[in-house]
Amino acid sequence: MRRFWLIVLVVLTVVSFAKVKIQFWHAMGGWRIEVIQNMVNDFMKLNPDIEVEVQYVGSYEEILAKLVAAVQAGTPPHVVQLNEISTQKMIDSGVIVPVQDLIDKDPTFDVGLFLPQVLNYYRVGGKLYSMPWNTSTPLLYYNKTMFKEVGLDPNNPPTTFSELIEACRKLVKKDDKGNIVRTGITWPLYAWFFEQYMALQNQPLVDNNNGRTAKATKVVFNNQAALNFLNFWNTLTKEGLMINTRRADWTAARQLFISQTVGMLISSTSDVALLMNESKKQGFELGTAFLPLPDGTQRGGVVVGGGSLWILKQKKQAEVDAAWKLVKYLAEPGPQIVWHQATGYYPIRVDAIQKLLVQGYYQENPHHLTAILQLLTSVQNYNTQGAIIGAFPEVRNAIDMAVEKMLTGALTPKQALDEAERNANKAIKEYF
Amino acid sequence: MRRKIFPYLLLIPTYLVIVFFIYAPAFDALYNSFFRVSVFGRRKIFVGFQNYLSLFADKDYLYAVNFTLVYTGVTVVVSIFLSFFLALLLDQKVPGSRIYRTLIFAPYAVSHVVAGALWGFLLNPVVGHVNYLMRIFFGIQTHWLTTTPYAAYSLIFASVWKTLPFNIIFYLAALQSIPTEVLEASIIDGASSWKRVWKIIFPLVSPITFYLVIMSIISATFQSFAIIDVMTKGGPGIYTTNLVYKLFLDGFRFQKIGLASAQNVILFIVMMVITIIYFSYGQRRVHYQ
Repeated sequence: MRRFWLIVLVVLTVVSFAKVKIQFWHAMGGWRIEVIQNMVNDFMKLNPDIEVEVQYVGSYEEILAKLVAAVQAGTPPHVVQLNEISTQKMIDSGVIVPVQDLIDKDPTFDVGLFLPQVLNYYRVGGKLYSMPWNTSTPLLYYNKTMFKEVGLDPNNPPTTFSELIEACRKLVKKDDKGNIVRTGITWPLYAWFFEQYMALQNQPLVDNNNGRTAKATKVVFNNQAALNFLNFWNTLTKEGLMINTRRADWTAARQLFISQTVGMLISSTSDVALLMNESKKQGFELGTAFLPLPDGTQRGGVVVGGGSLWILKQKKQAEVDAAWKLVKYLAEPGPQIVWHQATGYYPIRVDAIQKLLVQGYYQENPHHLTAILQLLTSVQNYNTQGAIIGAFPEVRNAIDMAVEKMLTGALTPKQALDEAERNANKAIKEYF
Repeated sequence: MRRKIFPYLLLIPTYLVIVFFIYAPAFDALYNSFFRVSVFGRRKIFVGFQNYLSLFADKDYLYAVNFTLVYTGVTVVVSIFLSFFLALLLDQKVPGSRIYRTLIFAPYAVSHVVAGALWGFLLNPVVGHVNYLMRIFFGIQTHWLTTTPYAAYSLIFASVWKTLPFNIIFYLAALQSIPTEVLEASIIDGASSWKRVWKIIFPLVSPITFYLVIMSIISATFQSFAIIDVMTKGGPGIYTTNLVYKLFLDGFRFQKIGLASAQNVILFIVMMVITIIYFSYGQRRVHYQ
């Protein structure tokens, strides 16, 4: 008997040594931790020789900071999810294996099935450096029940800035002391929305065709298009029609909408599933619509945001191969559909969308469709392809800061733009 | 001979820890502060004192210096006087004073992050209790964390709340070690209680006051990161960004290792000055009189 156990032990040891262990870091908190773990578990069932250690590492900013530390310590993880604005930084880093190199060697993988809108963002100089994965755009969410209550047409959400301001004025409710207890709209205080409104008005964010034909040398957003958006933001705030959050506080914005303190919310499409659930719990009907435009402007398009999967250079080729298998698997239609349904992030492949259409999924889930249509109907050019900047986090920060100063009344919208331009240009120049 | 070597052998483990975990990183920071470093540290260019020069030419950095002084100053002064006053009250022999003491010490057991999160919830403009009560009693609503100057008030309030218990514990201990004869003598001599507090008790606890001022400065300057990060994220704009938070932003958000190292060295020098003041004046200037 003892000999038997010994043999079992030896066999187990050999088997476990034969396994390739890889680490997968991601930044998706909350219920999504479990969704990702389940997807990876399925992957491990299909590939018993690979063991994946999944780790939720924190926000996109934290994951990048920890990645830098891990690389410097000589123990980089194998697959890392980073946000879209880290793209240029990672290309410049010299610590990654470009996904394109792996695609070229792998005949089983057809990148032609991916949505061009998504590929266009992540392809830099015609090369795909990371695997697009969780992809989203902003969307207008509104409370249909509240719209009915104040006499707004729940099937006709605002499409222009003036219509939206009008709707907000109707949604405001005050108590007997004159305090605002309910108001129109909120969105997280985050420069992502500023970038989206530049693309929506078909304007670039930086020079050299948004950094796509050569490296960006300066920002080009100090113009009427940006002013349209900042004036709008400023007016909504000054009139008390909007509640502003802390910097990048997505949770606070969602809470305001879910608690029915505001009637409308501009947030990422990745919130579709969550808001569908929460609105049901709170007993109101959810509506979704394209982002409203400044009056009299033509619609350009939205830029994809979200994140992509990066493969880090490793000492052992077997680990890179295993990492590529995992990345490839996560981009397959099956996992993409699971991910789409659980969150609201787009399925990034044509065949996945096709499958869902045939199954009639979008008839029961129209909000998922609004999101996809807004992306598919976007004009495709450099402006909607999104900017590529090495110092993108600093540029976003420069815009956030200036907007915050504008909202506290320290700067006018024009002054805020000037300051954001100055600081963003400084950051681009200092990028190294 | 052996007797001389043996003590040094015993000290080696301690020195190893100090060298690897304190001196090595400190020298690394000093070294990096003279370079421009790329994100993953693979490219470095020697720039001399450029990092320091650009820091002092940076309006935002000078603002952070200024905010640090104001924030630290107000927090320390309020916290010291309030804790002295509360300690005097807690020192009274009233029924239930033990319960009061326990309640007042509670915040000390809470970490900075949790304290920040708690105040973040309480000050939430929509669902927070503070605004709920303000609305009922005064009919006003304030966006505590996202507007000037309330963001700074909120931070200072939370920091004082957090440092208060520590100071009270020390003051209580000091008050209880004052010889009762001195106080009795002052009562017999007919000193009013106001006079007794400021002319006798306060000077008698001055060593503790000095110690607490130093500790509060360190706490408000260097350990305020968590509260700021959780409550205001340095906003609105750069309104509540102090030196430590600015260092965090440059180092960990924007990966400017060189610039962050320079800030690190500056903070190190500040800290050293405070420590030197404490060690050289701590024992000499302040004593029982």
